[in-house]
Amino acid sequence: MEKFLEFQDVTYFYQTKESEIHALNKMSFNVEEFQFASLVGPSGCGKTTILSLTAGLLQASEGKILLQNKAIAKNDSRIGYMFQRDHLFEWRSIWQNITLGLELQKMNKDPKKLALAEQLLKKYDLYSFKNKKPHQLSGGMRQRVALIRTLVLEPALLLLDEPFSALDFQTRLKVCDDVYDIIKSEKKTALLVTHDISEAISMSDRIIILTQRPATVKTMLDLNLEGASPLEKREDKDFGKHFEMIWRNLSTDEKQTIKSP
Amino acid sequence: MKNKLSKAHEKYLKRLRKDKAIVIFWRIALLACFLGIWQLLADTHVIDPFFFSSPSRIATTLVNLFATGNLWLHIWTSLYKTILGFVIAIVLGLIIAIALWWSDRLRKILEPYLIILNSLPKIALGPMIIFWVGSGTSATVVMSVLICIVITIISMLNAFISCDKDKILLMKSMHANKFQILFKLVLPNALPEFVSVLKINVGMSWVGTVMGEYLSSKAGLGYLINYGSQMLKLDIVMTSIFLLCLLASGMNLLVSLLEKRQQK
Ligand SMILES: Nc1ncnc2c1ncn2[C@@H]1O[C@H](COP(=O)(O)OP(=O)(O)OP(=O)(O)O)[C@@H](O)[C@H]1O
Ligand SMILES: [Mg+2]
Repeated sequence: MEKFLEFQDVTYFYQTKESEIHALNKMSFNVEEFQFASLVGPSGCGKTTILSLTAGLLQASEGKILLQNKAIAKNDSRIGYMFQRDHLFEWRSIWQNITLGLELQKMNKDPKKLALAEQLLKKYDLYSFKNKKPHQLSGGMRQRVALIRTLVLEPALLLLDEPFSALDFQTRLKVCDDVYDIIKSEKKTALLVTHDISEAISMSDRIIILTQRPATVKTMLDLNLEGASPLEKREDKDFGKHFEMIWRNLSTDEKQTIKSP
Repeated sequence: MKNKLSKAHEKYLKRLRKDKAIVIFWRIALLACFLGIWQLLADTHVIDPFFFSSPSRIATTLVNLFATGNLWLHIWTSLYKTILGFVIAIVLGLIIAIALWWSDRLRKILEPYLIILNSLPKIALGPMIIFWVGSGTSATVVMSVLICIVITIISMLNAFISCDKDKILLMKSMHANKFQILFKLVLPNALPEFVSVLKINVGMSWVGTVMGEYLSSKAGLGYLINYGSQMLKLDIVMTSIFLLCLLASGMNLLVSLLEKRQQK
């Protein structure tokens, strides 16, 4: 399959008054089209940095980032970004929230886009909440609204930065399924950052395991679990094996850093 | 089942209404007690009504002042100046706060001066203001503006700056430009802070007006207070203070109504 997103020896430094923080070191990996890929790694290793670079919010210090064989531009409309918290604007209704991106890009009069927004709301059971305010919705619903806000802009690649970590466990499993379903049925390529190994295994076609900061790719794992949804995939016989392998990879990394001061 | 639930709700609402009634009852009772005791002490000459006045004397003075026809002029003069100072300070303060939010460099340059201005008792500038803009209405308005504007700038700037960085990042990830970030995120996000600044400024602008009128004026409630104290007509002073209370509360009420509408 063709490479869809490609990192080529990407290095990134944050500049602060005190020091230069080496966040990424010669990162190389790729994600294929329609794949659901996950980034897992120790906390603070540089996962969010990878997404910010991909979204064009930061510029790589060295190396290249290609999407569909073209370099990422500053305001690249091929990319949608979903954050850890839903960041819905409380003073706007649900409808006004999901059309925020259209408004910013002067497409809020485009009947095709508006029809898409309506269709997405209907499809994912939020249409009756169209005129409600965000605080009237549950955590899971808010996260779905945030996803639709991103999808309305029709990005080819979706970046998800721990979008479920603010939810309680029950809701989390359900929202995982929902989001997975939405992303697969809308035929998107996705890159997910998560702390949760089970979550990564149950959702991903590819898992990219990172080292401590400065992050590089430690190993990559392609999965092919049986099941139509993340919840079903958790039942797969290989689930435990993969879990152990990733867990070992992450924990040996932590040990090394404990040794070296 | 549903009926039961609504009954419980009914009970709850009843209790709420009762609570509210009790609070209002005590408010009125407290005021009545205060006025009653004041009147009693004055009537029995425990306190000297010449210095402490009394509710009945204030009422009489009020009627007399209205009868001579001047009181409306005094009220209107003060109210007009206060509202003018209030509006100018809010509008100008908001514009300056936006400019400081927009340009990091400008903010860094002006920050120490803002802090100095904030700690300076603006009243000290009073005599100078009269030299600069002349006595009368403009001096009073300038005084009001000076007192209100610094706090407006500082509070609003803080509200703008404390806007969630991730929300700004979200806007940027959807390709928002700086204007859009300002109008669609930063300003609406600061609305609660704006309302509280309005409330603070209601009080502050009255301070400015009364101060300005003490310094130089030919009419207004501040003038009346000054006149009354110099002529030793302390009933007039107390009556003016009473009217100030009334006017400031009225303005506060308007702001509260605005706040309620915003919360809907
Ligand atoms: N704006 C910034 N300025 C300076 N340093 C930063 C900045 N953002 C992140 N860093 C540093 O860069 C490193 C990588 O940060 P990043 O947020 O990408 O990590 P992460 O893997 O997403 O962490 P987490 O698991 O906590 O979400 C961290 O050590 C962090 O302290
Ligand atoms: Mg992160």
